[in-house]
Amino acid sequence: MPVKLILRNKEYEVKAGMALLDALKKCNIVPESVIATREGELITEDEILKDGEVIKLVAVISGG
Amino acid sequence: MKCKKCGEKASVNMRQHRMALCREHFLEWIPDQTERFIKKYNMFTRNEKVLVAVSGGKDSLSLWDILVRLGYNADGLYLGLGIDGGIGYSDESHRLTDEFANKNNLKLHVVDIEKEYGHSIPVLSEISHRGHGKPCAVCGLTKRHEMNRIARDLGYDVLATGHNLDDEAAVLFGNTLHWEPDYLLRQGPVLPEMEGLARKVKPLCRFYEREMTAYAIARGIEYIYEECPFAEGSTQIFYKESLNQLENVRPGTKLTFYLRFLEARQSGELFVKKEPAQAHLHPCERCGQPTSAPGFCSFCRMLEKAALQPTELQ
Repeated sequence: MPVKLILRNKEYEVKAGMALLDALKKCNIVPESVIATREGELITEDEILKDGEVIKLVAVISGG
Repeated sequence: MKCKKCGEKASVNMRQHRMALCREHFLEWIPDQTERFIKKYNMFTRNEKVLVAVSGGKDSLSLWDILVRLGYNADGLYLGLGIDGGIGYSDESHRLTDEFANKNNLKLHVVDIEKEYGHSIPVLSEISHRGHGKPCAVCGLTKRHEMNRIARDLGYDVLATGHNLDDEAAVLFGNTLHWEPDYLLRQGPVLPEMEGLARKVKPLCRFYEREMTAYAIARGIEYIYEECPFAEGSTQIFYKESLNQLENVRPGTKLTFYLRFLEARQSGELFVKKEPAQAHLHPCERCGQPTSAPGFCSFCRMLEKAALQPTELQ
């Protein structure tokens, strides 16, 4: 089962077993621009993504 | 990745500091560092009354949370801007700010711009023909004016805003690209009190936006996640994204950019025209052109190294 990354209203799918950092790069997401959470808990970019899980990415940039 | 303090699993990695922390230690570290910055830049003391400008966003609500946890005498100010954008933006940010204040038993002042001046920000922008079709210029101007007025009217010693390092670096980047000396010389963690102007401080100015997002999430602060509908495509967001690209390849770039600027500004090295006479120039012993070092000039030293005589070049 792939891993789902959700950022605002966009969804990305990557393979399980990848590190979060590699997954972000694969999806062309700048790691500096997001914070990742798994079931509401903050996770670091070396975290290995597990089969079928959903990772919520929180965009950090705001302003105008 | 392990927490630097306890060795448990880390929740936040800060590459610019080469430090990862677990949730508990990160929630301690942010207020500790904030206290350090407040003291380092002489922002305010525990005897002074602080008015925190709160928008319902992650930075300002986190700032309020941190200051209260640190024991400062901090009340909040929410300005109702009347921005809807199809998502009830101002209503929702007001609701979240109110909820935060009530939950933590804090004093919140609310000023509605439309009630005060007869028009919401988007309407004021339209009828004043300022801002090239976008209300951001009128919004910024109104907020600065009102925050200052209210801080002074209500007798606060200082006005605190939630600007983080990414905000400051983006402004600095823009002012550097356009070489705006007046703006550059004014930018800093503290704008001192002047005749008619309250002291303004930015206690979060050395934290990355990413850290402030992590703080709000880890602390369980509910903030408005939706962007202001008028901010889409803004120059400031473009600068932030560009700086994050640099940061991604060279961790610490944003921090160094801002801190070196503060040092240069503090030392008076920015935009000070140096008189040529101050440089103590001497004539080169070979070609006679002015040089700062005694003996040969750099050019003649280079020729000497290459074993060439000036005449050989002709």
